[in-house]
Amino acid sequence: MIEFRDVHASYDADIKVLDGVSFQIQDGEFVAFVGTNGAGKSTTMRLMNGLLKPDAGVVLIDGVPTTQLKTSQIARQVGFLFQNPDSQICSNTVREELLFGFKALGEVGPDAEARVDGVIKEFGFDPDDDPFLLNRGTRQLLALASIVVLAPPVVILDEPTTGLDYKECVKVMDIIRRLHEAGTTIVMVCHDMEVVGDFAKRVVVMSQGGVVDDGPTFDVLRNPQTLTRASLIPPQIVDISLALPLVDERLATSPLAFANTTDEMQAAIAQEVC
Amino acid sequence: MNGFLEYVPGDSLLHRLNPVTKIVFAVLFAITCFCTSNIFFLCGMLICGIIMAASCQMLRPVLGLMKAVLAFSVILAVLLLLTSPSGDVLVELPWGYIGTGSIMAAVTTIVRLEAAAIPLFLTFYVTKMTDLSNSVVKVLHVPYKYAFTFASTVHFIPVFMNDMKSIMEAQTARGVEFDQGGIVNKIRLMVPLCVPLLVSSVRKTNSAAIAAEVRGFNLRTRESGYKQYPFSAVDLVVMLIAVALLVAVILVP
Repeated sequence: MIEFRDVHASYDADIKVLDGVSFQIQDGEFVAFVGTNGAGKSTTMRLMNGLLKPDAGVVLIDGVPTTQLKTSQIARQVGFLFQNPDSQICSNTVREELLFGFKALGEVGPDAEARVDGVIKEFGFDPDDDPFLLNRGTRQLLALASIVVLAPPVVILDEPTTGLDYKECVKVMDIIRRLHEAGTTIVMVCHDMEVVGDFAKRVVVMSQGGVVDDGPTFDVLRNPQTLTRASLIPPQIVDISLALPLVDERLATSPLAFANTTDEMQAAIAQEVC
Repeated sequence: MNGFLEYVPGDSLLHRLNPVTKIVFAVLFAITCFCTSNIFFLCGMLICGIIMAASCQMLRPVLGLMKAVLAFSVILAVLLLLTSPSGDVLVELPWGYIGTGSIMAAVTTIVRLEAAAIPLFLTFYVTKMTDLSNSVVKVLHVPYKYAFTFASTVHFIPVFMNDMKSIMEAQTARGVEFDQGGIVNKIRLMVPLCVPLLVSSVRKTNSAAIAAEVRGFNLRTRESGYKQYPFSAVDLVVMLIAVALLVAVILVP
């Protein structure tokens, strides 16, 4: 479990980035952090994996403050996928890149080799490929694979779909969905509300260094005050269902006005027609 | 907060000087420091530099950069100490000795490098990079591509420093312990990171070059710049002071 208790953080003494943030993330959750640029989302992620220590308050990982943990201990618990895979990739072959994390943690051995082989097969990589010559989407997949191979109980994803085309985006998110179904806690920063609506079970909305809303995905995405405050546009289906009662007041109580997904909308239309 | 050698807006005398004056003054000031070994004169130059930094509220960043110069100059000073035997013998070495003259030479080297560096740093802190490059093209008739190359080099230093920081953070998040072990361990851990830094540098440089090309880089001439850089009486006085300092150290032993 990850817990923030009244966390304050800053990069510069004069500029506060987080101002009294508190929340808990239970094991196995899929949480999306949303909000405008500068809201404090990425800082929150950096606090979760110990890259940044709080100025005040406490960040706990399984009850232990991050200030009392070594970086390598946190890395074993919390994997972090950076927005730019080129910051992460530093080896000459895909295989070496996947083994890099084990080397850093001093865990190279037959088990590690077997895990690397498994991930290479699962992701469909050529182990001898030069990572720097792969396309952007495949480099992002490799960066994700190098986190997945270490099997951390928590994976943090900082805008995992930025710069990817639709096909690459679906591939990355499918893998993340499988990870979550296997029991991994997923914490994701994302600006794409369609992705948030499709995958996240809980949404934390941040604005100006604080949490302005926190709850089940569609409760948050249907809250007009939250949407206005954090300058968010909900997924298209939610947007349509929210707009329908404005077109005709009689639709306010119709299932159409409560559809959150394409499937729910189709079912609601079928019900209306019948 | 401003980055490495990044312009800080202000209205001090140094901010208002013509960019060419600042460059000429900084270069002559540095040459003056290298033309004398008089420790008292060099200390005077160092104090002048610090006063100049304080006059434009740049003391803190300049002191920070002076620390970096100190690290470099101490290495040179130690080499001088070990390889330039002169003066009264203080310590015998298998290949010579360390004397009073060696110590004086080492101290002089440190003070000289520190004093020479301050106006060069200040020039960047009190002048916009575009003004620096445009003024040397307009006034000194330096070809634009050379001025652009210089400006881009300085511009990319903080960019690459940020890249290195991001790369180190990404590896730290994977369990690499940069804060553990000695200097040899740190170097061993950092060498592999030069590869992603090099790759990202080449990608960024390539993008910058393409962006410059499509915006008509090769069409740019001396007349392309709209802004004029006239000299004032203060500029002439400042340049005269720099020339006088240089002449003084050449004529006075």
